[in-house]
Amino acid sequence: MTVRGLAAGALAALESAERRINDLNVYPVPDGDTGTNLKLTVRGIVEALDASEATGRAELAREVTRAALMAARGNSGVILSQMIRGAAESLAETDDVAAALRSASDAAYRAVRTPVEGTMLTVIRETAEAAERLEQPTLPELVRAAEESVERTPEQLAVLREAGVVDAGGAGLAEILRGLTAHLTGEPLPEPPAYEEEIGLDAVHQELSRFRYCTTVLVEGDGLDAAELERELEPLGDCLLVVGDPAALKIHVHTDDPGAVLALATARGILESVEIANMHRQTVEREERLADALAAEKTCEAVAVVSGAGNRRLFESLGAGQLIDGGRTMNPATQEILDAIERAPAPEAIVLPNNPNVIMSAEQAARHASKPVRVIPTRSLQEGLAALVAYDSSRSAEANMADIFDALESVGTGAVVVSSRDAEPDGVPVRKGEWLGLVDGEAVVAAEDFEEAARAVLERLLEEPRDVVTLLAGEGAPPLGELQSWLEEEHPDVEVEVEDGGQPNYALLLSAE
Amino acid sequence: MDAATTPLGRVTIAREAIAQIVGRTAAECYGVVGMKARGLRRRGLTQGVAVSTADGGGLKIDLHVVVEYGLNLAEVGNSIRARVLYEVERLTQLPVAAVEVHIDDVRQS
Repeated sequence: MTVRGLAAGALAALESAERRINDLNVYPVPDGDTGTNLKLTVRGIVEALDASEATGRAELAREVTRAALMAARGNSGVILSQMIRGAAESLAETDDVAAALRSASDAAYRAVRTPVEGTMLTVIRETAEAAERLEQPTLPELVRAAEESVERTPEQLAVLREAGVVDAGGAGLAEILRGLTAHLTGEPLPEPPAYEEEIGLDAVHQELSRFRYCTTVLVEGDGLDAAELERELEPLGDCLLVVGDPAALKIHVHTDDPGAVLALATARGILESVEIANMHRQTVEREERLADALAAEKTCEAVAVVSGAGNRRLFESLGAGQLIDGGRTMNPATQEILDAIERAPAPEAIVLPNNPNVIMSAEQAARHASKPVRVIPTRSLQEGLAALVAYDSSRSAEANMADIFDALESVGTGAVVVSSRDAEPDGVPVRKGEWLGLVDGEAVVAAEDFEEAARAVLERLLEEPRDVVTLLAGEGAPPLGELQSWLEEEHPDVEVEVEDGGQPNYALLLSAE
Repeated sequence: MDAATTPLGRVTIAREAIAQIVGRTAAECYGVVGMKARGLRRRGLTQGVAVSTADGGGLKIDLHVVVEYGLNLAEVGNSIRARVLYEVERLTQLPVAAVEVHIDDVRQS
């Protein structure tokens, strides 16, 4: 037995099953290339091994991993390459088949944020579970476990069920196992399982139907006429398919009136199996599941001092759970901050003071809190927002602090305010009532015209290369349309976001990153 | 808002809704272990997603993703592009002019 021989066995199995697997391919994109992609990926590995001089186990494992990475074609090829990486890591150490399958499964799941079940992922995991359960699994037993897993994929993935197919990548994986087994046992490939008859429904209804019920009926009778039935069903919905022979027809249609479909079928013969699924509910359920997964429990709450109704909404939408109203002066009491920290349901917290004058009281509150608290010394609302973009409620306060400090380094902030008196802050002479522009807290420009001051601040912020500029309009801010057009013309590569912040005192707050 | 014209009238779909579709789809794409936030892009589903109008019309979708270390980045990028294009056109019926996938980072998990 050689590794090259194993890979060649897998390749032979994939070559003979290529078309069948291509026909199954409706997910993630119905482009009918899964079989070809898996074949090309494995072929790349065989070719790399032909050219290889590796001898040691660890060295071979590394080469196979690398060859799989380089040869990976398409989504299924990438997933396969990750499974091979996992399996090779384990096989470099031990012959234990169950451990290799487990390692392949773990590696495959690790590389996607939201694993979709009813795919190759499910098949490798269930095969690994079967290997663990069987203790001394024989290869044919594992192939059978994989094939059974493939047959269950339509139960887990609606798009497969609707198209009446099993998962293409999963079927490919089962083929690979069959090929490996055939090589090891020296026996010819057993016949592949007969999924073919299921493929008829094809990818006809990949479109999200405007009808509510996916209706499938099997009707048995004598001399059934598929074409005639099709004509009668046509007006009732879309994604219509009638397949079979004169003795038995399978009807599939998306309709708002499944009753009418059943009536037509009953008039022809005896109904065997009827299935009516509410597709809209399926879509909603899927979305709800996704939303639930995202609303995982918090480890760390973000407490922020905020002013302005629009800014409150922004902070909330970015995940800040406890907001303290800074009022016109942005100067809340230490007790208010402490109360907010204690009120937060999470076991840890970060505090965003968002004003230089609040940092001290926030630190005092943190010292008196009953839970671990980190104060991020944000000096402005814009810094607070940038901090929240990097904030992750599932991580500890300590871990968040490190990430947020990194994020804050790349943020430049600015402001445009009306000067309340004649003064010369940072050497910039300004008269009462004039506009004063600040960059990172320092005065840089004074002007009678708002536009002029705002442009000067933006020019300073954009001296460094920036991707995104955010404008937070304050209470009584002049219209920002002209400034926006100017930005789009002068700095077309910069993305501009305008939000109605509603903060008092600062007509305009800006950030650039 | 983007509009699809049908014989019965116009259907308008907010950019935010399209961004949600893109975000959900991307999270399920193999190799994607995270999205990279830019500016104040909302956290959660639309983090790292920008939807705009292409010069010649049609939607332009930009995604900023973090991919698992050790995967073939070119293939992962192609798969994400194909899947996002397919899902957005399928669910909105709006023409998509471009899907730009930016792999901003790789992560070893």
